[in-house]
Amino acid sequence: MGHQYKAIQWNRNKVVYDLYMVVAVFVFVGVFMAIGLQTQPTGHTADPVVLAIRALGVAAFTLLTVILAIGPLARLSPRFAPMLYNRRHLGVITFSVAAAHFGLALLWYHSGGPLNPLVSLFVSNPLYDSIPGFPFEVLGFIAFLILFVMAATSHDFWLNNLSAPVWKALHMLVYPAYILLVFHITLGALMTEKSMVYPVLTAVSFASIAALHLYTGYREWRIDNGMKSLKAKGWIEIGAPDDIPNMRAVIAPLPKGDRVAVFRYDNKISAVTNACRHQNGPLGEGRVIDGCITCPWHGWQYRPDDGVSPPPFTEKIATYNVKIEAGRVFVDPKPNPPGTRTKPAIIAEQGAVAS
Amino acid sequence: MTLPKGVIDPEPKTPDEMFVGWASAPKVDRRFLLGALPLGLAGAGGGAWLIANELDDPGAGVWLTGATHEVAGALVTDPYPMLRLADPSMPGGVRTVLIVAQGKCTSALQLDDQRGRPVIARGVLIQRKGRQMLEVPLFQDDWLSPTKMDMIAAQLSPPVKPLGAAHLSGAIMDTKCFFGVMRPGRGKTHKACASLCIRGGIPPSFWVRTKTGAEAVLLMTTADGGPMPMDILPLVADPVEAAGEIVQVGDLLQFRADVAAYRRI
Repeated sequence: MGHQYKAIQWNRNKVVYDLYMVVAVFVFVGVFMAIGLQTQPTGHTADPVVLAIRALGVAAFTLLTVILAIGPLARLSPRFAPMLYNRRHLGVITFSVAAAHFGLALLWYHSGGPLNPLVSLFVSNPLYDSIPGFPFEVLGFIAFLILFVMAATSHDFWLNNLSAPVWKALHMLVYPAYILLVFHITLGALMTEKSMVYPVLTAVSFASIAALHLYTGYREWRIDNGMKSLKAKGWIEIGAPDDIPNMRAVIAPLPKGDRVAVFRYDNKISAVTNACRHQNGPLGEGRVIDGCITCPWHGWQYRPDDGVSPPPFTEKIATYNVKIEAGRVFVDPKPNPPGTRTKPAIIAEQGAVAS
Repeated sequence: MTLPKGVIDPEPKTPDEMFVGWASAPKVDRRFLLGALPLGLAGAGGGAWLIANELDDPGAGVWLTGATHEVAGALVTDPYPMLRLADPSMPGGVRTVLIVAQGKCTSALQLDDQRGRPVIARGVLIQRKGRQMLEVPLFQDDWLSPTKMDMIAAQLSPPVKPLGAAHLSGAIMDTKCFFGVMRPGRGKTHKACASLCIRGGIPPSFWVRTKTGAEAVLLMTTADGGPMPMDILPLVADPVEAAGEIVQVGDLLQFRADVAAYRRI
């Protein structure tokens, strides 16, 4: 959380995560280079630089495919939450690999000639009016710029200063970047290499990402449909206290379209907004750990009664007033300003007592 | 448990333990990761093997970096820079070694003083299937020195033997990359590089296959034997066809056709 800005707030999981991903990239590029140099007929050795350009390009595209798969996979199973936790580091690793691919390609194919390399990138293939002849390099360059902007603004400093909605919108550009890269590959490598393995792998990658997003989107749509925002005024009935799993929450819709997460803990009931201050993570899918509501995405914490992160952190989220009447839990749909202390509803041992 | 309509329990089937990044992973996640992480590494290696194993043959060219070769012969610049060596075993009695500069700026080489004279050139050899090219430094002038050597007439004016009109299809390459600097030095992924090379004065060649499937590389010139103009650049590396004339100049095959004769297939 953001009580102060450090380059990276390391912990053991992040170190293991980053090391693993770096090792995976080295394994991929190493095996690619070794096989690429050895499989050709005698005297037909591939250029190591061209091989490196290709290995790094395929690695970057594969990493981006994995990144885009993590979100929906984590919606389908909590076992993928560890991959989601440090996804931004994976994004920066992906940008680094893409930068190496871009730098080597610019050096090898566009440098040392009568044109500036960046000018060459745009004019050496002038067939902008042809689909099969289109300069695929330009598509890759635009995608690279998007990855650069995302990597440069990946730190929580930018998340706080740009605001979560703007930051999120900016980082949704990963989808256009991915589509640009699919065309970069299709109009480049796939039009040069003869093997059918490449179009099949590219199509499978794209189709997998599309299918995962469509399926999880459909699931969310069904949930949304089942819990449409209430139009009624007044307090909203949540259910019996025992209907809320201990140290967890249920989620309810609100008249204005927001969602409230109603937590049960220590024989008490408290309610907060369902959106984490960090990246709009679903707080209602989290747990109460060490007395704090803990977001399932990145572990940000808030006290249930006032929605404030425990010291030294200072983040605040909106709270809601709750009460128990006749053995039923009710929530006032009007949010309190972020960080407002509320009185938890106390669950009596026998029956319920109004708070 | 019965929740009112609209209220949901988000994770009714999951255990109470939850992965939190800053804490130790729950057992269930550790078990999953212990299985998934080795699989991920195996997938990375296996995927790399599959993709690299399917790459096209890059061709037979070599770029003998690390060793400087000396070649003595007559310096010729028309239509492109080259050395002609007397060699009775070759057609026309001469063996041609094309000259290119490091990088992609061959047209910047200062050759006027030695044109038509016997010289010794020092550089790196690039060769493909018996054809040779010498890559020389761009910003030094000690790679080229005059020498005393008896020359035969064919070194400056080799016999020109018309082999007839031909309608060929193939692809336009930059000779340097195709001979071995880039492997592969063809196809759309190499189009921009080939275009930049030819723009910089590296000779274009027409890569065709004969009826028997054999590879043939013909140095491209205009219909009157001059260097190709830059109008050819948009067609580089694409599948093209052209009607022209094949001419043997010494040991080199030239394909003579103006840019207008080329058509993208």
